[in-house]
Amino acid sequence: MSSPSATLVAGEAAVAADSPRQPRSPRRNSARFFPLWLLTPAGIVMIALVIVPIAFLLFTSFTDYDQRSLFTGEFSIVGFQQYVTIFTDPDFWWAIIRTILFTAAMVLGTIAIGMGISQLLTRLGTTMKYILTIVLVFAWAMPTVASSQIWNWLFQPGYGVVNWMLTQLHIFGDMTNAAWANNAFLAYTCIWLLIVWGGVPFIALTMYAAQSQVDPAYIEAARLDGASEARIYWTIVLRFLKPTLLLVTILSVIWDFNVFNQIWLVSQGGPNNATSTIGIWAYKTAFVSTHVGTGAAITVVATIMLLALTGLYIRNLLKSGEEL
Amino acid sequence: MSTVTEPVGAPVLEEVPARPVAARKRRRRRPRIVSNVVAIVLSVIWVFPVYWMVNTAFKPRYEVMTPTPMFFPQHPTFSNFVAAATESTFLVNLRNSLIVVVGTLIFAIVLGALASAALSRFRFRGRKLILVVVLAVQMLPGTALLIPQFVVFNQMGLTNNYFGLILAYVAATLPFTIWVMRGFFVAIPVEIEEAARVDGATNWQILWRVLFPLVTPGIIASSIFAFIAAWNDYLVAYTFMNDQSMYTLPVWLATFTTPTTGTDFGGLMAASVLFSLPVVIFFVIIQRNLVSGMSAGAVKG
Repeated sequence: MSSPSATLVAGEAAVAADSPRQPRSPRRNSARFFPLWLLTPAGIVMIALVIVPIAFLLFTSFTDYDQRSLFTGEFSIVGFQQYVTIFTDPDFWWAIIRTILFTAAMVLGTIAIGMGISQLLTRLGTTMKYILTIVLVFAWAMPTVASSQIWNWLFQPGYGVVNWMLTQLHIFGDMTNAAWANNAFLAYTCIWLLIVWGGVPFIALTMYAAQSQVDPAYIEAARLDGASEARIYWTIVLRFLKPTLLLVTILSVIWDFNVFNQIWLVSQGGPNNATSTIGIWAYKTAFVSTHVGTGAAITVVATIMLLALTGLYIRNLLKSGEEL
Repeated sequence: MSTVTEPVGAPVLEEVPARPVAARKRRRRRPRIVSNVVAIVLSVIWVFPVYWMVNTAFKPRYEVMTPTPMFFPQHPTFSNFVAAATESTFLVNLRNSLIVVVGTLIFAIVLGALASAALSRFRFRGRKLILVVVLAVQMLPGTALLIPQFVVFNQMGLTNNYFGLILAYVAATLPFTIWVMRGFFVAIPVEIEEAARVDGATNWQILWRVLFPLVTPGIIASSIFAFIAAWNDYLVAYTFMNDQSMYTLPVWLATFTTPTTGTDFGGLMAASVLFSLPVVIFFVIIQRNLVSGMSAGAVKG
């Protein structure tokens, strides 16, 4: 994992200075190995519970591990058969297309509304800003299991308050008995609202924090030159926000790609798998129909898809000034 | 330490003439009203689901199921809370949640504090690789660790078991615990460490007497993240725990029914309040101190 060539950042100068007077070797050795001792417990846990499982996931995707294996521990290696199974299954490709489109819809909604709110926050008086921030933090802090249950109640056929409100609007006709989870489009709308509701606060507050770092002198100068507010936002504010915006966008893509609880608790991936994103599909395959090997293969594909994004995220994190 | 809220260095501009600015400021007063109206509308939309949860929880059953929703409870009652807490396995599941969350916290914080000290105060080969792995692990899809952990834990008899769930949560929370605490360690000036070293302190003494006390805010921040992650997790607990007596609170809430009433939305909302509101209020109180750490650790609350 790491070599014994460790040196203290802080102590290097001091050690060098007093080394002639000190008994040299024990001190140097303890300093060398000290960070390794510190890393060992966490390292063991990470290797045993993260690295080995990932390797084991890869291995499982080459086996026919299923319900029988869970009880007997017996399984056999089947090579690429699981991958052939999923790649020849049109449902798999649909799940991928669905995941990409739904992720795009969620990220666009979250970022657009979040940016709007962060811009709005800069124009509010103290009291209103405080109220809106507190409200956002409330939504942010709601556990997803609880917010999913609230959504089930808000959108409940017959008694849901959203159904009632939509009926009162007289635009969509009588929505009182609309069963949101039983119609693909309605299910997507309902889950989209849930995820955007929960995701906007992070974007809005992070972008607001970034926006308050923009030097007002630039904006003031542009205003003096007669630039319109929209023009100032596009050419000055957005330019400063770009690194932050890029980071939160990548994070949102990764999070929304991985969304599980909200979809599972609102629609169970139904109706007819219409809301089964790749994560839901992998879970169903591995744990509901207990084709663990196939589920592992799907997860490996999903992980590889995310890996590129994660790489992009880390690169941008480093570029934005974070040092490793 | 925050990555996202990087201050933007800007050259100081020459002072601008005062009069036109004042004139324009007057012109800009008007949009305040529009902004305030939009802000009020957004606040109402965003708070409404939470309000509806609390509102429903306090309604008697005959006020919950009405064709025209009642926006205030006419006869507020605690009966839904009593039913949710006593007619279900709430107390057992609460105990399970507390055991698992406390266990996770102890492991994650101790291991995380030691590891983040090593990764921030020392330079050694492989350090950057470890940090990249720590970051990357947080981005894995939910089933990536769940499937192999379930298969192995199932063979070892660690499913339906507190220790197994704790191990799974430590694996999930340790990376961001390390990352968040490391940010706090990096912020400590090197001179403090040098001073202690000149005074003859050993590595362990520096760690215990100088560094750990200074990163206490970081330890608190990462404890809170780890607490929220473990307290809120549904997927792993739902997969690992088969018996209702071993469920944690999120699984309890997701499968909530009371024997007397069946699917009872008053009870369900009261249960949601019991599960979420203590955490939400706590979070609102402390959030100011957390936003920077949150964005740096790339943690979703």
